[in-house]
Amino acid sequence: MTEEAGMISVTQDDFDVNEVIGRVRRPDMGALVTFLGVVRGDGGIDVMELEAYEEVAVRELEAIRDEAFANYPITAVEIIHRTGRLRVGENILLIVVGAGHRKEAFDACEYILERIKRSVPIWKKEIGEDGERWVPGESHGGDA
Amino acid sequence: MQVRVRAFARLREAIGGDLMLEVPPGATMSMLLAAVGETSEQAEEALFEESGELRGYVILMHNGKRVRRAEAMTLTLADGDEVALFPPVAGG
Repeated sequence: MTEEAGMISVTQDDFDVNEVIGRVRRPDMGALVTFLGVVRGDGGIDVMELEAYEEVAVRELEAIRDEAFANYPITAVEIIHRTGRLRVGENILLIVVGAGHRKEAFDACEYILERIKRSVPIWKKEIGEDGERWVPGESHGGDA
Repeated sequence: MQVRVRAFARLREAIGGDLMLEVPPGATMSMLLAAVGETSEQAEEALFEESGELRGYVILMHNGKRVRRAEAMTLTLADGDEVALFPPVAGG
């Protein structure tokens, strides 16, 4: 079995997508699927503030990565989630999945994204000309 | 004994940040939640319905693990524990 690699980070720092892909790619991969989430400028939003329960968020991301490896024949996962004050257009989330073939890479990437939205303790506040608003969570996640 | 309370997003704003609370030995999660509510009117309103029931959106964690609402009455805390309170997550 091919060795699996998966880095996780929750950080204020920005990232360089190509640099991350360069770090992940290996000759046995035929596909690298990348999801990049950015701050959307709708409804007069200027800035978004992201807050995380950092220790738990990192642990949950690690669990999601491990589930992706268990459920899909993929060989690499990297997840970077930013926190702090981000302007419209700035990077929020990067998921890179490397696999032998495209299908499993796409499927695993979507699985990871949906799991992140459901259970990683991170919150977003939109700040714009009309004031501020916490983005409503989609789910209680877990066992509520 | 002392318990650390961490709150996030709108609950952090209502409670005013992390707290160190002194609670009696053997205190349960429910007793701690009541103590958090007593720290301010905003905290009380953010956590509890008028009936005194914990609001539906409040998620509980004990030392980094999810706690079911039904367990709050019976879960006893220990000195140095960390309890986290937050609304539904919205990352990604």
